[in-house]
Amino acid sequence: MDLEKIEKPEMIFDGIAAAPGIAFGEAFVINVEDLSVDDERIGAGQVADEVSRFESALVATEKELKDLAHVLEEEMGKEHTKILDSHILMLSDEVMRKETVDMISAEQVSAPCAFHRVIEKTLSVFDQIEDQYLKERSEDVRDVRRRVIRNLLGQKINGLINLRKEAIVVGKNLTPSDTMGFKRKYVKAFVSDLGGSTSHAAIVARSHGIPAVVGVDGFSAHAKPYDKLIVDGTAGQVVLNPSPDTVKLYKVALSRLKLLETELLTLKNYPAVTLDGRKIELSGNIEMVDELDDVISHGAKGIGLFRTEYFFMGRGTLPGEEEQYKFYCNVVSRIAPDPVIVRTLDIGGDKFANWFDDRPEENPFMGWRGIRFTLSRKDIFRTQLRAIYRAAAHGQVRIMFPMVSVVDEVRAALAICDEVKEDLHRERYQYGKDVEVGIMIETPSAVALADHLAKEVDFFSIGSNDLVQYTLAVDRGNSRIAYLYDELHPSIIRMINDTVQAAHKNNIWAGLCGEMTASVGVHGTLLLIGAGLDELSAPAFLIPEVKKIIRSVTYDETKTLFKKALKKATSAEIRILIDKFLRDKRPDLQEFAIKSRNQ
Amino acid sequence: MVTGKITVINRTGIHLRLANKIVNAASQFEAAVMLEKDGLEVNAKSMLGVAMLGAEQGAELTLNIEGSDEREALDTLIGLFETNFGSEVI
Repeated sequence: MDLEKIEKPEMIFDGIAAAPGIAFGEAFVINVEDLSVDDERIGAGQVADEVSRFESALVATEKELKDLAHVLEEEMGKEHTKILDSHILMLSDEVMRKETVDMISAEQVSAPCAFHRVIEKTLSVFDQIEDQYLKERSEDVRDVRRRVIRNLLGQKINGLINLRKEAIVVGKNLTPSDTMGFKRKYVKAFVSDLGGSTSHAAIVARSHGIPAVVGVDGFSAHAKPYDKLIVDGTAGQVVLNPSPDTVKLYKVALSRLKLLETELLTLKNYPAVTLDGRKIELSGNIEMVDELDDVISHGAKGIGLFRTEYFFMGRGTLPGEEEQYKFYCNVVSRIAPDPVIVRTLDIGGDKFANWFDDRPEENPFMGWRGIRFTLSRKDIFRTQLRAIYRAAAHGQVRIMFPMVSVVDEVRAALAICDEVKEDLHRERYQYGKDVEVGIMIETPSAVALADHLAKEVDFFSIGSNDLVQYTLAVDRGNSRIAYLYDELHPSIIRMINDTVQAAHKNNIWAGLCGEMTASVGVHGTLLLIGAGLDELSAPAFLIPEVKKIIRSVTYDETKTLFKKALKKATSAEIRILIDKFLRDKRPDLQEFAIKSRNQ
Repeated sequence: MVTGKITVINRTGIHLRLANKIVNAASQFEAAVMLEKDGLEVNAKSMLGVAMLGAEQGAELTLNIEGSDEREALDTLIGLFETNFGSEVI
């Protein structure tokens, strides 16, 4: 039988679309297997040597991790080094050290063999852990083991630093140690088994414009080195061993995408203005400083949502005023003269910091979070506001409070802002004197009270993710009912309308900073323009697309479209309405509609 | 030997950094400090040991401590859990 003739079957894998684009290439698989370690017997006379070999490997590994943390901190900021800190801590486990040394002498085996066995015992226990998060820490243990054993064997890291030709990088979990030192020209795409859209590989990919699909369950076990792959980072799909027909299909898609991209990027320096002259402030969402370049290069004017909680998360202590001031300043001064909307701490719900020890909450999304948290922890709130007001001296800053549901909350928060400004003035600090203060509209209560709230603040920003969740009473994470989560739901369209109307009646502006532009594509964006929103804030990679849509329509026609949508009873009817609009009026935009994922 | 019962209140359970705090606290004492959860007993002076307990929020643990300073060790560790690891918040 001729083995050459047997073709590997095509397989399609679904994952999370982490960075857009399509790539063809061969797999470069890293870190899938642990290094294999043979049972290696030693003589009694070698025990002392093996023990010191083990000790020096631990020292070398610690140095390696510290160097890596240092490089990473310079490249991407301190928030990326935390995982390495815990790896360093693991190395100093006295029990692990003692067990390994004991095994070397008692069983007369080599250092790699003893260490491998000791960790293996730990890992077998990890396997039985039920809690998913804690169980996944075993990946950290494995990572440390690989590192120590490599040092014991005198091997170099098999990271991307060794990649010398074009390839698609595949790994179980692409960690900083894997991706460090990679050459952009060789990496065509990233695929990883684990991770979400904010994991390390996803961020690296987006900032370098490399397509990436993450969270592709079990993929690295299927892909062998040099297997042919197609990665569709826009749709979140990976094709293993594609058939000639599939290749053809994707080649067409790629050339269309390229055309589109070229066209979109030419828009970078053009304003986001409709054909009939309505200007919309188009800005970007960020959580970390390293996303800033990405947002700027995609042509955003300013930051519409600067999430600050990530700076507070995963660390042992609260960041002080100076540290926060520097962090905010960095963003504010780089974006100046364009504005930055800084959202005050939105801890709670799905995000929490390790220092933030709270009693268990039955329902954290309806619990102690956002402005509710900061108003009850005024020390934390004041420190953050002081840092923001001081950073505002270096650019244009707007402050935004999340999770407002009661008018009193806003009044209390504004009073604290005034106190903070007085304090800063008295203490002779430089601070921003004309900082606009606004609120997120993300609870149904805030929509119902929008006319009252509008009299208190300078602007509204609709947080569509939470507003949809609270209005439709749908938990996105619950797969049984996730289908009900729908941003084009008529109740959401009405809520957006009520919010914008209340804002404009009171002469303040209204924006939106959720993912509505992302998940419903052209459909959502057309409605948002038609609703009369003054500002839209989107993830970096979507900015050119949203700009293109804004520049391709008249405000007048989208306003008519929005008014018709307001009368519809179901989201299906709203979709049909927009499809018809696209077909009849703007066939050139249908290209984008294909990408709309909710269809 | 002294024993004590503790409950994990931290929302993400005992992750690596909390494991490190437990190890640091336990290591100050001469006494042998063991932590037990559902029949699995580990050395509280080992970070890997503590982490592999997989102690999620709400998990009930037993401390078994034996040695000259066992009383003091027990108080310290129970205190650590009761103050939720000496957090700066709350």
